[in-house]
Amino acid sequence: MSTPISARPPASTRKQTLTTIVLALIILVPCLLGFGNKFKEFILLFRGDVDGVFAITPIMNYLLASLGFFCLFLWAILQGMFRDLEQPKKTMLENERMLDDED
Amino acid sequence: MSADVERERPRHEDLVDERLVSWYFLAALGYMFISMLGGFLMGFQLIRHNPLRGIELLSPGRWRMIHTNAIAYGFLANAFLGALHWAVPRLALRPVLDRRLSYFIFGAWQVVVLSTAVGIMLGQAQGLEWGETPVWIDPLALAGLLLVAINFLAPIVRLRGPMYVTLWYFTAAFIWTFLTYAMGNFIPQYFVSGTSAGAVGGLFIHDLVGLFVTPLGWGLMYYFVPIMLKKPVWSHGLSLVGFWGLAFFYPLTGIHHFLYTPIPMFLQYGAVISTIAVEMVVTTVLINFFVTLRGATGALTNNLPIRWFYTGMVFYGLTCLQCAFQTTLTFQALIHFTDWVVGHAHMVMFGVFSMWLLGTMTYLFPRLLKTDWYSRTLCEWHYWLSALGIGLMSADLIVAGPFQGYFWASLLPWDVSVDFSIPFWAVRLVAGTMMFTGLLVFLTNLALTWAQARRAEEPAVLAAAA
Repeated sequence: MSTPISARPPASTRKQTLTTIVLALIILVPCLLGFGNKFKEFILLFRGDVDGVFAITPIMNYLLASLGFFCLFLWAILQGMFRDLEQPKKTMLENERMLDDED
Repeated sequence: MSADVERERPRHEDLVDERLVSWYFLAALGYMFISMLGGFLMGFQLIRHNPLRGIELLSPGRWRMIHTNAIAYGFLANAFLGALHWAVPRLALRPVLDRRLSYFIFGAWQVVVLSTAVGIMLGQAQGLEWGETPVWIDPLALAGLLLVAINFLAPIVRLRGPMYVTLWYFTAAFIWTFLTYAMGNFIPQYFVSGTSAGAVGGLFIHDLVGLFVTPLGWGLMYYFVPIMLKKPVWSHGLSLVGFWGLAFFYPLTGIHHFLYTPIPMFLQYGAVISTIAVEMVVTTVLINFFVTLRGATGALTNNLPIRWFYTGMVFYGLTCLQCAFQTTLTFQALIHFTDWVVGHAHMVMFGVFSMWLLGTMTYLFPRLLKTDWYSRTLCEWHYWLSALGIGLMSADLIVAGPFQGYFWASLLPWDVSVDFSIPFWAVRLVAGTMMFTGLLVFLTNLALTWAQARRAEEPAVLAAAA
């Protein structure tokens, strides 16, 4: 019988971690700046022009959906969902092997 | 979770209702046949040979809506539900909430899809792209989506500890699909109008792709690809960047369909920026899958489902590249309303998600029927006709689009642009014929495989009876 996947050395390398962080920063920083800037423009428009109010609908849709997922994100952090980022991929394959062996 | 596994030792047959998975797949293929037949007939109409001329119930305007709705809610939804009934219980190691509820949802969903088709043919379509479902069906459809979420979330929420990325995608999809459907079908109909309704409509159309089919599609890829390659995905951390990136950036992208409209420019620019953010997220996902393939590229030739999956990923990359062009204001001014967009939509719906689901079926049908495919050659024909067909159709329409845009910008009579487009539409018909033939080949192979499975079963049944 082959060695269980979980018994092998961790697959996560320094290079992988670095790549993940760099890509996350490349995505997050410009987008947060862009969104923040446009949201500021929205507030200014809202204060100065009553007709601009109709733009609230898509913005509110977005903010409500994002708020829900931000809460989910915080809950996931508190639950330790991101404590061992690479373990779930190994567990998944182990479970699949177990189910197919039972077959 | 491992302690639970040791205690319970779940078995596949206790987790997965294979008969229901088969039913969903067969229903999906039935709707795909209807949708592609509609597209095939519409192809003749475009080259001025409408075979259904004079039949009001089957007029091109109605058939077009049936074509799009049958693919979105008939094929994609049924095929996804079938695949979910396989993947979710095996990932969560727990069955869905209630098998009777699963069968009820199956029946109810077919009623929703067929009622939509009948409603559209009778002229009751709602005035919203991909939300044409008649208003009296909307509450039923929404209730169905709620039941789907409850049925599948029940085993997922009982999990403890870090969750595999597929389940993150599925969890989000159940919530997003419900919210997106409610937003698109109820807010413009009952609560807002004018530009505001237009803005919500833009969010709905795009979110239906990005928050319904995209998370389910990528979730399935993160599940099936490692299983077939027999190696884990390269970086689970990077896959989570992809998921959370989609969660936070995608919902605002929809307004990029409404550039140059009265919607405030800061919202339009916001949509462009979030679209660029999604492009970056998509890049991380594609990098992850293609690095996972490293050392196993032979699977692209030997393993047919893997070939379907990675072809879909290539098309996904291409559609996102298109998006990057489409969201620039100058390019949008040229290609809006042209066949470029039609090519883009076909590449997304068939080239990506249908390819993934047909690959899933190619993998699962032999397991469901407990026999190999009747003919590997027919499977190959199905793949090549589909892949080359959608490649040709997309390329043809994407090339035609800018030409049409320049014709319109030159203020020549409309007819000139139509006459110019006829050869492109003839090529489109050839491509559609290839794809439709591919489906017919697949259905034939499936019928022969089913007959083969029945023949293999007979001696066992007779022996048991004796």
